[in-house]
Amino acid sequence: MTNGIFRKGRLVFLDGGMGTQLQERGLKPGETPELWNLSRPDDIRAVHSAYLAAGADIVYANTFGANAAKYHADAPLADVVSAGVALAREAVHAAGGKRFVALDVGPTGRLLKPAGDFEFDAAYDAFAEEVRLGAEAGADLVVIETMGDAYELKAAVLAAKENSSLPVLATVALGEDGKLLTGADVECVAAILEGLHVDALGLNCGFGPDKMLPFVKRLAAVTSLPIAVKPNAGLPKVEGGKTIFTVEPDEFAADVIELVKAGASIVGGCCGTTPAHIRKVVESLGEWGTGERGNSSFTHSRTVVCSGSRVVEISTDDTIIIGERINPTGKKKLKAALSEGDVAYVLREAVSQAEAGAHVLDVNVGVPGLDEPTLLDSTIQAVQSVTALPLQIDTSDPKALERALRHYNGKALVNSVNGKEESMSAVLPLVAKYGGAVVALTLDENGIPPTAEGRLAIAKRILARGAEYGLKPSDFVVDVLCLAVSADANSANVILEALRRVRDELGCCTCLGVSNISFGLPARPLLNASFYTMALGAGLSAGIVNPLAADMMTAYRAYRALIGKDRTCGEWIDSFKDWTADSRQPLAASRQSPVAGRQSETDSPDSLSAAIRHGLKADAAAAARQELARGVVPIDIIDAEIVPALEIVGRGFESGSVFLPQLLMAAEAAGAAFDVVRAALPQRDGASVRGPIVVATVKGDIHDIGKNICRALLENYGFKVIDLGRDVPPERIVETARREKARLIGLSALMTTTVCFMEETVKLVHENLPDCKVTVGGAVLTADYAAKIGADHYSKDAMGLVRYAETMFPAKMV
Amino acid sequence: MTIDEREICRYLRLQGRAPGEALEERIKAMREAALKAIRPARVWRRFDDPFVAGGADSETLRKHLAECHAAYLVCTTIGAEFDTLQRRTAATSPADAFVLQAIGAAAIEEWTDETEREIRRELKEGETLVSRYSPGYGDWPLEAQRRLFELLDAPRKVGVSLTDSLLMVPSKSVSAIIGVKTEVSQ
Repeated sequence: MTNGIFRKGRLVFLDGGMGTQLQERGLKPGETPELWNLSRPDDIRAVHSAYLAAGADIVYANTFGANAAKYHADAPLADVVSAGVALAREAVHAAGGKRFVALDVGPTGRLLKPAGDFEFDAAYDAFAEEVRLGAEAGADLVVIETMGDAYELKAAVLAAKENSSLPVLATVALGEDGKLLTGADVECVAAILEGLHVDALGLNCGFGPDKMLPFVKRLAAVTSLPIAVKPNAGLPKVEGGKTIFTVEPDEFAADVIELVKAGASIVGGCCGTTPAHIRKVVESLGEWGTGERGNSSFTHSRTVVCSGSRVVEISTDDTIIIGERINPTGKKKLKAALSEGDVAYVLREAVSQAEAGAHVLDVNVGVPGLDEPTLLDSTIQAVQSVTALPLQIDTSDPKALERALRHYNGKALVNSVNGKEESMSAVLPLVAKYGGAVVALTLDENGIPPTAEGRLAIAKRILARGAEYGLKPSDFVVDVLCLAVSADANSANVILEALRRVRDELGCCTCLGVSNISFGLPARPLLNASFYTMALGAGLSAGIVNPLAADMMTAYRAYRALIGKDRTCGEWIDSFKDWTADSRQPLAASRQSPVAGRQSETDSPDSLSAAIRHGLKADAAAAARQELARGVVPIDIIDAEIVPALEIVGRGFESGSVFLPQLLMAAEAAGAAFDVVRAALPQRDGASVRGPIVVATVKGDIHDIGKNICRALLENYGFKVIDLGRDVPPERIVETARREKARLIGLSALMTTTVCFMEETVKLVHENLPDCKVTVGGAVLTADYAAKIGADHYSKDAMGLVRYAETMFPAKMV
Repeated sequence: MTIDEREICRYLRLQGRAPGEALEERIKAMREAALKAIRPARVWRRFDDPFVAGGADSETLRKHLAECHAAYLVCTTIGAEFDTLQRRTAATSPADAFVLQAIGAAAIEEWTDETEREIRRELKEGETLVSRYSPGYGDWPLEAQRRLFELLDAPRKVGVSLTDSLLMVPSKSVSAIIGVKTEVSQ
């Protein structure tokens, strides 16, 4: 498949800068370089020929920006691409020898969701079109370069692999801090690209070869693929309004030699490099092999997953935490949130687990009756918008899995495959295609074997089957399955034996849903923590646990401190420095709020009210707990303290003596107190809550701060809020309001350019849901304008919305 | 990079009042988090034609650049990671998120001012700058962003892109034209 382009035992030389060469020949700022393929073909051919004469084996066609998302010139894209490839081909013919033409695929210039508004699929389509055109025009390989976002990189590689059979070389542009614009480092890039099976990977642009050296060394340590480097002729400098590059060919070539010594075997130049630079590189390196690393014997045996910006290694000699909370099984509130489309609830679960110390988050949205492929896809994208943690995609539906894997930003952990033929033939090819590590459940058509021996045998079978798809043992994390010790007294023993043997005999990482052990028994957290410690001792690589359970986190931290993984016990000390013999839940307490620790106030009689008015979250919760402990009836705490305190702040805001940040802090403090008191109330159904109210930032708009403020205040005034997020299409708002029988919808828009979508949404709501009111707000809106676009009400601020909601739902709180 | 607390309070719309202890603590915590996420970047370029990014038919821009013989186009940003931090914070605390956006607003303003000072250093003898002017101001249409971004190659140079509705992402970014005129000695 690689056409022998990246053949072993020999360096491959790439060309140098194209854009800067064209600027020398008169290309103006803002001019579309690809148009020169049609208007000035001789110049393009001449640049290629000069690089070939200098000794380049591969020339990049002048197609860097020739994707439909970026290219907006008049000439048809197809003509530009085919002419670009043809010109490179002509130059290669003229030069003779075994040289190659690369289709050059650069970024779309758009920022993908969630950082921007561009859809992954739209980026994919743009790249796919360019690749098809390039392949038809006869390119020998596809080069993806200068990528600054791991997610866009993934779209480009998938497009290249699915729309041609050409070899793929992918290189990224690092910032000086060694990261892509959206935060990925070289380890992250390598994990993603290896998972997607490119033929070679590396770095281009950004800076000169000297600054590239440490990053090439790091790449060489984590990839077995050939490494390409295409540095600039130094950092760009501006002189007299012109960008110039100052590293001369001799110095450039000397630095490139160091890159080759560090492991690079495919070398060229980017911005500011000229045929003279390439000639010097070829002269200096022409007789070399592929450096000390070669393309040879590196065995890649780490188990690595990542998001678009963070790598997590799962290993047999350390342990990580997989947060289990985003799984609706047995969780009423999450089930309701998923059914209603309440994204905000799920996001809170994600962030709180991340803050509590989870390394990977499990995401399972399996609720009977819901469209799992759609919901899993959107939930994963939403969760990835608020956390850099890699995710464990947890589903038994192969359709849902494929869609989620495709749109996942990074290299995911897949949960799971098992020993059943049906499961293996559905899941393993997907993992092989998209990259990832996969949890192997040790069960098959005959159920779960009662012995460690039996579970090991299934693990072996799954691994062997994986090998048929090119998966290595390091691509698997074996789950030896946790069964309740109340049902089988030998359960824990079998699990512990199986954990040890998987590690020792298969060399594989392990994971386990630890808390199943205590099913059916009282005091489950205590048993769970003890068993977790035992499992860790038996070599558990990844515990699927609740990171908000203090006992579990204590077990985890204690284990790592005791086996010497927590060097100098720093993490342990950080977590427990404020611990005293009577702090029963040290983790939960120390984590509540950055402004905790004003104990004196909680002693005064009006402490709860004061804590709320001062916006002290932890104090408010503590005060509420104290009142409950003193025997105050929950409903009285709410009516006599929380509600009046919030009212005081709310009126202060309306009269101008309290400002928005204080109002929000008070609302949060009230919310914290509410949570404490609600937990003490007898369970009620949702009927007594006011609402629901659907809120959203309208389509096209990504500014959601105002909408979030409204949601928070409404919630703390006792309303049930369904938050659909930002950039929400009108149809989805209507559909949700209809399903949830919402009588009020709050819409926010910040930009004049997006108010049109607000108008469209209002119209659609009124056409479809005549009983539903719409209130609107946002920086550019006025009461007049709100009336003009047909809204029922204008909220001048969040309190205004609360007051309006109160008129619509005049019920009592809680 | 420094972020002035008074500026943050201005963006918090405290109308000159002191933030108070609890809010101050939050500002401190959020500023610390912000500084870790901020990755400032900038690009500018000088053009001899002040209307290189269009706007010759915009009355307000024409007036603004009336005495100018050249112009700088500039784009600054504090980066995409700040937006990620903003989203993460919004998921759990709207109060923190509100404080954070004020910090981001103060930061991009400071960074753009800093950039303008840097541009001043490369002016020719006797030249001075007029104030920054951005697409969407006055009757200069927001659509001018497209041309401005092409001329600066902003997506590639600083990682700032335009959305379909012509918003900039990362959200804490500034694009502007800064006219160059001859200094009149008093």
